[in-house]
Amino acid sequence: MTRIYIAIAALVALSGWSNAASIVNSDAEARTVIVTEGDSQQELSLAAGQAADFCPNGCFVSLEGERETLLGSETVEISGGRMRIR
Amino acid sequence: MAAVIVLLCGLGPAAAQDMAAAPAVPQIVQEMQPVIDGLAKRAEELSKRVDANAQDDARLVELRLELERIASEALAAGVAFRPRLTEINTRLELLGPVPAEGQPAEAEIVANERMALLREKSQINVLIGAAETTSLGVNRQIGRIAQLRRDLFASTLSKRYDINYALVGEVLDGLRSESTKFTRVVTSWLRFVIQFKLSSVLAATFFALAGAAILLIGGRRLFGNLIVPDPAEADPPYISRLSVAFWSTLLRSASISVFLAGTWYFFNYFNVLRGDIGAMLWAFFVVIASTYFVRRLAMAALSPKRPNWRLVEIESRPAGVLVLLITLTAIVSGADFFLTRVFATMGSPLSLTVGESLVATVIVGVLVVLIGHVKPRVNADGTPRPWPVWLRLSLYLLGSVTLAAALLGYIGFSRFMSQQIVVTGAILAMMYIGILSARAISEEGAFAGTALGRRLEKRFQVEEAGFDQLALVTSMLVNLLVFVVGVPLILLQWGFQWGDIRAWAYSLAHEIRIGTVSFSLIGIVTGIAVFAIGYYATRWFQRWLDGTVMARGRVDAGVRNSIRTAVGYAGVAIAGLIGISAAGIDLSSLALVAGALSLGIGFGLQNVVSNFVSGLILLAERPFKVGDWIIAGPVSGTVRKISVRATEIETFQRQTVILPNSELINAAVGNWTHKNRLGRIEIPIGVSYDSDPRRVHAILTEIAKAHPLVLKNPEPFVLFGGFGGSSLDFEVRVFLADIMNSVIVQNDLRFTIFETFEREGIKIPFPQRDLNIRIADRDRLADKLADVAAPAPAPGKRRGKRPDPD
Repeated sequence: MTRIYIAIAALVALSGWSNAASIVNSDAEARTVIVTEGDSQQELSLAAGQAADFCPNGCFVSLEGERETLLGSETVEISGGRMRIR
Repeated sequence: MAAVIVLLCGLGPAAAQDMAAAPAVPQIVQEMQPVIDGLAKRAEELSKRVDANAQDDARLVELRLELERIASEALAAGVAFRPRLTEINTRLELLGPVPAEGQPAEAEIVANERMALLREKSQINVLIGAAETTSLGVNRQIGRIAQLRRDLFASTLSKRYDINYALVGEVLDGLRSESTKFTRVVTSWLRFVIQFKLSSVLAATFFALAGAAILLIGGRRLFGNLIVPDPAEADPPYISRLSVAFWSTLLRSASISVFLAGTWYFFNYFNVLRGDIGAMLWAFFVVIASTYFVRRLAMAALSPKRPNWRLVEIESRPAGVLVLLITLTAIVSGADFFLTRVFATMGSPLSLTVGESLVATVIVGVLVVLIGHVKPRVNADGTPRPWPVWLRLSLYLLGSVTLAAALLGYIGFSRFMSQQIVVTGAILAMMYIGILSARAISEEGAFAGTALGRRLEKRFQVEEAGFDQLALVTSMLVNLLVFVVGVPLILLQWGFQWGDIRAWAYSLAHEIRIGTVSFSLIGIVTGIAVFAIGYYATRWFQRWLDGTVMARGRVDAGVRNSIRTAVGYAGVAIAGLIGISAAGIDLSSLALVAGALSLGIGFGLQNVVSNFVSGLILLAERPFKVGDWIIAGPVSGTVRKISVRATEIETFQRQTVILPNSELINAAVGNWTHKNRLGRIEIPIGVSYDSDPRRVHAILTEIAKAHPLVLKNPEPFVLFGGFGGSSLDFEVRVFLADIMNSVIVQNDLRFTIFETFEREGIKIPFPQRDLNIRIADRDRLADKLADVAAPAPAPGKRRGKRPDPD
């Protein structure tokens, strides 16, 4: 019985996460998104094909004038210079 | 922001052109515009209020909570556009890009739709931008509040007041004028209450009293002699003393607090209180509650009247002195708190507050030093012994720091110290007693000895092991209670606000973040609870299936065992999966872990996995079942339990052998009781060559047939097995219905055979050898023997006397 609990606890500890939002740049060129999270505004540059985790608590992102709002669990894909939320 | 403006400018003429055709503002924009504007307005208002309340810690915390709410509303407002944005983007993609120069122009309807969509999109973008700006501003205000509060706390502690002779006069003057003012305020309020609100006051008091009484009486009924020390008990166990101290302090203080808080609440509810009186009354109640708590705690721990219930091993007289000193400290510190509040409410001159606090903190400092000076124990020769050095030094240090700070003019710091000494000290002592009693409860056999334990034993017939588990759970609960109650109380003392603590507790329970990884305590607890429920449901289903369904269906024991085991593992696995998803863990991340581990499993856990698979095969194939007599390699015994990794076999010496399942699959396993328990045993026996073999055969056959446990069919058989070196060899072969009786039957048969042979005169011979000696020169040997025999006859004689075996 104890062993089962320990095993479950280990499993939970190993995999107990829900990731932040993630963004992936599927375009062939580098893209820069502006991320406004909390009281800071930062530029996040993504090389072609690069993916990143960001914005765990929700944020505003904008790419070339196009804006999106994230709650912190979405996956954003940049393709053709546009953001698409999956 | 700039990008949006550019976009807007670009779209300007087109939009204006389109206005005539479709002037309507899109619905989503219509809906959200006022929401986002409202958020911006509220944010602006709040930031003005932050400026206005920069000196008020409690207000700042409230404002921060409101700001956080606005920040999350701004995010939600942004997210509300998402479905429409997705729709627009999809539609725009369907419409395709604007045809390039030279390509054929597209239909007007397409161009118009694209235009409309783009216009709506840009409007949405502007709104999201506004929400973003609001969110940014609000978050900056939140940061500012944190900074303001830090500065506020530091300045309260580090502010220095001038203390000189002039102060004395000012204080005395102030005291005179303020006391008349105070009396006037209070009497006018009392007159107002008596004239207009008497019934409300009585009702409020009644309700508050009822609440407190319910708590106190209910607690007494529930815990009974846990609270009141029994004076008849000569030597109460430590755990009883601890729990009496803990519970009596907690319950009584809680009742008093409930009474006071209830009174204040109902007074407020019935509009009995006016602003100034409300604040002063609240301070007064706080002081009463905390002073009472400190005194109760000191009485419980030091118990000056009942030495056998004392927690700390000190003498009775110093215990009385200590209780007095501690109570005095609490009263002085409480009075300081109350008077400061009163002066603040009445807008009294600052010098009065400073002077009053100076006196109070100096007294507290002196009292603490005095507490350190008490000599609570006695040496073997009867002379008093002081506190241990570390305790004495820290008490001296605390007292003198308070004193020094007060005399140097750091009144804020000194007052903070004196309040901490009293309240934090009391809470820490209380927590310590709680933790100690939890530890005492969890000790083996301790719980059964307490009054509660005895009562439970009488009423519910709880066994000792049950008590132990109960004690463990109780001790964990007590620990949890201690921390849940104690830690927030201490944090409240240290200048944290209630709103802060609630926000922390909330975020702690909902989301703990380490880097990008986050998990939620509530989720994990839910997951474990769901798993536990699933586990017990599985066990119950297993028992029901096995005991009711399969037992009545006369299912074979082996199949029953296999099904029960399989159902058990499947149930636990399902419960685990449900628990994991209830805990909010993404199972796809588990797949990642499993993928990473599979290589390790392949190499490192080869044996375990092989045994596991073998266990599954055993369950399906069922070469043996529980209770079978099997022989696997060197191990022979009864199968006790078939698990997925290993099988338990009990040998006939009652040794339990845990045999890995792979060995049972990879090697030959003999099972005496596989399909049935029928088995054959053989008893070999040799008789003398002098006996009549047919007679022997008849006798043996008769003996075998006569035994009640020997099967008639297949018939017992006596084999005339051969002509041995010294005997005629027979073998009795009999079949038994239950091979487990083999030893009994063998014994019976051998006894009977021996007795019958004895009666019939049939000999069972010893092994015989005929020894022939050939001597080459017989005469010379005879001469030599004669020579040796003549001078020394003794040793030769003994050898010569040996009897001839023939």
